[in-house]
Amino acid sequence: MKSADSKLLRYLPGAGSTAETRSVPVATSGLGASLYAAKRKDLSKTAVIRQALRRYQLIDARTALGEKLIFEDDKLQKKAEVMVL
Amino acid sequence: MTTSCVELLERETGAFVAVDLHRELKVADVVLAERSWSSKRADLMAALLKENVPRAQWPQSLHWDWRAKAPDLKLLEARGFGIHAESGSQGLMLTKNTRHVTRLKDDAGKPLVYVDFLETAPWNWSSEPLKVRGRFGRIGSLLFREAVLHSRDEGFHGRVGLHALPQSEAFYEGHFGLTRIGPDASKQGLVYLEFTRKQAEQFLKEGGG
Repeated sequence: MKSADSKLLRYLPGAGSTAETRSVPVATSGLGASLYAAKRKDLSKTAVIRQALRRYQLIDARTALGEKLIFEDDKLQKKAEVMVL
Repeated sequence: MTTSCVELLERETGAFVAVDLHRELKVADVVLAERSWSSKRADLMAALLKENVPRAQWPQSLHWDWRAKAPDLKLLEARGFGIHAESGSQGLMLTKNTRHVTRLKDDAGKPLVYVDFLETAPWNWSSEPLKVRGRFGRIGSLLFREAVLHSRDEGFHGRVGLHALPQSEAFYEGHFGLTRIGPDASKQGLVYLEFTRKQAEQFLKEGGG
């Protein structure tokens, strides 16, 4: 992302290491998915949730600037735009 | 802001000087640092032009402007590190920990801390053609060590990745022993290097830099 173009970043709260513990209800399937991701990526469950939040913010910031999220498969010569609502 | 005390080597005297290492720089901190650096960048460029030093020998980060990089610190994935002495900011590093994954075979696809930018203050640059010696040394080593520690704290086991400017390749490859993956066409052909979990463990075991 070109920082100079990222006007939206001005309105984001910014990162920090101050941590608070919150309980959030998550469906069993969601927990299963986070466990699977943790195992595959060699991460703790907490690290998976943190990564998910960071990725969500990054994608949200870029799509809000009018950018597109695209999945591309070189082998299959496939390209698909992911609709982010 | 989490801060700790570290030591820099003052090249002129050979003495170690205690300075602060900050781990959570805000946008304003980085903008302020660049304000003091930019006039030095201009002075250095004027001196290089005056001495007809070929462009290939100019410091390759001479054109950088941290004011343009600073807004990235608003992203949850970004972290700003800085070394500060009484005379001002001595070095800055910006890392990202979400959009890059390990390329090396053993841990391919697993997350790492990516060093987006790392630079020392212009008065700490040594220039052979200008016969000047930078004031403080060890800044790059201390900041790189922080990237490894940050990776460990995030649960990434010390894995670090970066694209090196040609003038810094030897520093990362030779001094720290990062594994060279090769030129990256998506990043102006800069060489991409990685620090594996094993290399990081060894690096920290030996005191880190």
